[in-house]
Amino acid sequence: MNWRPIGALVSKDFTLFFRNRFFAVITVLSLVMFPVIYFVMPSSVDETLEIGLYAPVLPPAIQQIQEAEDEGLRLDVVESEEALKKGVTEGRYVAGLALPADMTEKLVLGEAPEIEVYFASHTPEDFRDIIDIVITEMAYLQIGQPLDIDWQPEILGPDMAGSQIPQRDRLRPLFAVFILMTETFGLAGLLSEEVERRTAWALLVTPMTVKELFTAKGIVGVVLAFSQALLILAVVGGMGEQPLIMVIALLLGAVLVTGVAFLIASLGKDFLSVTAWGMPALIILSIPAFAILTPGEVSSWIKAIPSYYLTDTVYRVSNLGIGWSEVWHNLLILAGCNLVIVAAGILTLRRKFQ
Amino acid sequence: MADYSIVAENLTYWYGDLVAVDHIGFQVGEGEILGFLGPNGAGKTTTFKMLTGQIKPKGGTATVLGWNVATHCEKVQGEIGVCFEATNLYEQMSARENLRLFARLFGVKRFDADALLERVGLGGRGKEKVEQYSKGMKQRLMVARSLVNRPRVLFLDEPTSGLDPVSAEAIRAIILEERNRGATVFLTTHDMMEADKLSDRVAFIIQGKIAALDMPHNLKQAYGKRMLKAEITADGRLENIEIPLDTKETPNAVRDLFSQKNVVTVHSEEATLEDIFIKITGRGLKE
Repeated sequence: MNWRPIGALVSKDFTLFFRNRFFAVITVLSLVMFPVIYFVMPSSVDETLEIGLYAPVLPPAIQQIQEAEDEGLRLDVVESEEALKKGVTEGRYVAGLALPADMTEKLVLGEAPEIEVYFASHTPEDFRDIIDIVITEMAYLQIGQPLDIDWQPEILGPDMAGSQIPQRDRLRPLFAVFILMTETFGLAGLLSEEVERRTAWALLVTPMTVKELFTAKGIVGVVLAFSQALLILAVVGGMGEQPLIMVIALLLGAVLVTGVAFLIASLGKDFLSVTAWGMPALIILSIPAFAILTPGEVSSWIKAIPSYYLTDTVYRVSNLGIGWSEVWHNLLILAGCNLVIVAAGILTLRRKFQ
Repeated sequence: MADYSIVAENLTYWYGDLVAVDHIGFQVGEGEILGFLGPNGAGKTTTFKMLTGQIKPKGGTATVLGWNVATHCEKVQGEIGVCFEATNLYEQMSARENLRLFARLFGVKRFDADALLERVGLGGRGKEKVEQYSKGMKQRLMVARSLVNRPRVLFLDEPTSGLDPVSAEAIRAIILEERNRGATVFLTTHDMMEADKLSDRVAFIIQGKIAALDMPHNLKQAYGKRMLKAEITADGRLENIEIPLDTKETPNAVRDLFSQKNVVTVHSEEATLEDIFIKITGRGLKE
């Protein structure tokens, strides 16, 4: 391997990349836009359930519930049933309770008081169950017979109560995948242009070999993708926990998208076809990052997408602070996927240069 | 063998069922210009590609400067300069940047891009982006690029194709300068006049086979007819007369022409390479 022609080609590609107005604008736009999106989004999650309450005669139990505000429930007493309905409709309360004036008497007599509960049309089903529990709890408190249940909560994994992951932090893997894929378009564009304009043949009648040509292109792809992903994650606070793991994950991610760029360039004949082939690749590789935006377990088929192992690592390391023992297998699988994708990319693209 | 810069032996290449180059053989001596002539699809470019290491021969061997191109491609490519028919420059870069890139690829130290640009008539235009160049300027730059490593063998594929006469003449002058410097030149062209002017020897290739290979003068001698062409006036009308120069009747015919006819113009005419090509191959270059 002769590094002199590789260095010359890498330097040329960087020059051309930044002279291409489209890629230059997209790159700068991504580097500015992603941090802006991150910083305008709320940095914390409000976990308090706010419930409106109207009671002509305020039962003593209400005071006890109001004192439990730090447990994530706040009762806001309003002066009329109309004000209660308005609060629910406007979204200030997830639900509204209208207690009857004779509630305490009825409870003491063992009769069932009728409580009006108002929900906004968009209130999730889970919230309705929570309100059911609140009312039951309130009834027991009112008649002086608290529920005789002793329960011990046990949190499996990190206890995120009170420190739920804000949506903007969930976006970090998406930023990483998007910025990596942006550079995929850039590299695939440079490669297809070498074929379209036949400059590759001018290179290959010099002492430069096809292997050196691919090495140079690979270096350009990895450096462009890795440096920008690293910069973005550093700006949006993704490098605070386990920076070494993050660096390795991003480096592997950059190699992955470089392999994808080789594949796209082997399919595309010009810039337009590169974009046409690149879009499905972008969508597929972004799916795991989108899945992370919604809490809960991801579908198992998502694990068949190589970028899952990048996004899962970025998400869990930057948001949950986990270490090597939890992600080494992710990095190993990602490295394996890279081997396959880069080899496939080189094999298919090589045919165009022969 | 040592005196030959290029040696092709039984060189063969095919695309599927089509035999593009069919067991051809030739040698090009050091400091010689070989014109490689043939119509489109005759096998010129395929031969060019095999000699420059762009494709591997499917049969036979190509040797350049004593190295087998198929097995010592990098060594060969370090010593040759290649100018393609189609422009393949980095258009977003300046002429100077284009040349410097290739100088770095060849490992040329102390490379003076401006001097080379001056030599091909692009002095003072080195900073401009290539996309702003005219076709003639781009072609001059293509030739300049093929010279950055002071090649011992220069491969030129239709270097003056589609150029204005001034640009074409400038490129021809550079080719002769390179030959005078000692470089061997392998020149493929459609242009018979150009081949005649520049080439020490010409090869006619048709349907993948070499139909003739010799010095232009020898080909003309072997296949052409020398004629004396005259315009005379008879009964107030202009008439043309042709007298073959290499027959026993020639002296009498010439004497009769000047003594008995009213001669307006007279000139001798040799067969052109195009005539010879048609005679040998049975078809023209542009068919």
